[in-house]
Amino acid sequence: MTPRGDTSGAVRAADAGPVLLRMQGLSKRFGGLQAISDVTLDLPAGMITTLVGPNGAGKTTLFNMITGHLVPTAGTVHLHGKPLARLAPWQIARRGVGRSFQDLRLFTHMSVLENVTTVIERGSWLWQRRADPERIQAVLNDAGLWDKRHERAADLAYAERKFLSLARIMAGDASLWLLDEPASGLDPRSFDRFVALLRNYAARGITICIIEHNLDLVTQLSDRVAFLDQGKLLACGDPAGILKDPQLAAIYFGERA
Amino acid sequence: MLAYLQNIAVLFCVNAMLAVTLNFIMGYAGIFSLAHAIFFGVGAYTAANIAMHFSDSLLLCVAGAVLVSGALSMVLALPALRVRGEYFVAASLGLQVIGVTVFSEWKSATGGLGGLVGIPPPTVFGHALATPGEFLGLAAGGLAAVLLITTALLRGSFGRSLMAIRDSESAAQAAGKWVAAVKTLSVAVSAGLAAVAGAIYAFYMSFVNVEGFMLETSILLMAMVIIGGTGTVFGPIIGAALLMLLPPALTYLPFLPPSELGTVQQIVYGSIMVLLMMFRPGGLVGGRRKRGKA
Repeated sequence: MTPRGDTSGAVRAADAGPVLLRMQGLSKRFGGLQAISDVTLDLPAGMITTLVGPNGAGKTTLFNMITGHLVPTAGTVHLHGKPLARLAPWQIARRGVGRSFQDLRLFTHMSVLENVTTVIERGSWLWQRRADPERIQAVLNDAGLWDKRHERAADLAYAERKFLSLARIMAGDASLWLLDEPASGLDPRSFDRFVALLRNYAARGITICIIEHNLDLVTQLSDRVAFLDQGKLLACGDPAGILKDPQLAAIYFGERA
Repeated sequence: MLAYLQNIAVLFCVNAMLAVTLNFIMGYAGIFSLAHAIFFGVGAYTAANIAMHFSDSLLLCVAGAVLVSGALSMVLALPALRVRGEYFVAASLGLQVIGVTVFSEWKSATGGLGGLVGIPPPTVFGHALATPGEFLGLAAGGLAAVLLITTALLRGSFGRSLMAIRDSESAAQAAGKWVAAVKTLSVAVSAGLAAVAGAIYAFYMSFVNVEGFMLETSILLMAMVIIGGTGTVFGPIIGAALLMLLPPALTYLPFLPPSELGTVQQIVYGSIMVLLMMFRPGGLVGGRRKRGKA
């Protein structure tokens, strides 16, 4: 660790509205590696927050601790003011946290339609909540996948697979979306469609948190940017301010002091 | 000749039921179990015991077999399902070994190595099933019922949950699937329906011993599923037919000396497996589906 001026304590945005998700003093240690140290961060309701930072900064680890895929070494996560500690990932998902994965993790041997249908069907036992066909059609139309609904997920083109991974979240009733590099590898046309789609859902009141390296997306979409490096939250605030900070830019582009 | 064909047909139905129920977890839940013969055996011993000591009503014996086998599988699956993929295969192998030991040592329930002799014929509404024709009807009806139940479950939301878990467990959890419950339930359904085959087998033979429930049976069942087509509806039935008909078919080849039949059979089985995995990895029925980028 190189000592830096701005690393002590957490930075919180002053303009935050009502808080949907609150992380307090969140830390994760893997053996000798401190992956996340003392991150305190709020996700205000209805806003798009972007997590930026170099590879290995701990962004995905943070997601995994919110969704229960990893148990924090210290700290708490509250959703709607209620703690998520000791809940299994599926329980947290049912409380309204949807997520995508960097490696997509589609249900590859199932059709596009089945991928989306199974997300809506909850209950796990023999009789489950029925999926509303109109809602599925609306979601697949939004994602541009309705014409491909009978194709296997594994047979889709790359961009289509990315949209399918988003459609799975759109179909669920999550109030918070955690998207792990959702736009990486998209061509410009798909990218624009993707940005429009996210804006549309954000306007409907969905709270979104995105891990992203594409600075175009960060500036076009974010209401707030949180900057992580080596497991620490260095700054959080409006995109223009964070992205113009010369010290943060130096870290991001690898010109360490 | 008719009796001979009926015998093969009944045993085919029993094995097809087992292959279909094994495919239920192998093909759709991604759970590869080498202990399927144990649940076949639990069903057979349970039905035999109920028939010999309590009631020879078919419905009662089958229901008892399904419940005991399903419940036992849940108890065993809960700890074992914490491990995934190849680790579960190893765990199920351990279960198979323990099961055979219990079958051959628990003399009061299984008759030990000698087995249970003199299982009375089952009765349906007071009528005792005794002729080979009636047993063939029973076995065919059992196979149809098992096929119907598994297919109905798989076509619905339960099947979609299972397949989602098979394709990505973490994504299924992120979609709100209670993975442990769905997996445990699928194992219980599979074991419970395998017990139906066990009950029919016990009544048909009127005698059970551990020979029928050894590791060889579990491996043969897995071969039926893989050869026919894992994750397909009719694959396991075709696989069962092929592996059931092969031994009698070989006896009709005039140039094979009878003493070498066993050896030839093993070589043929082995070669089919190797060739299939090379040229049709999805099995006879599912050959094309598995291809493409995964």
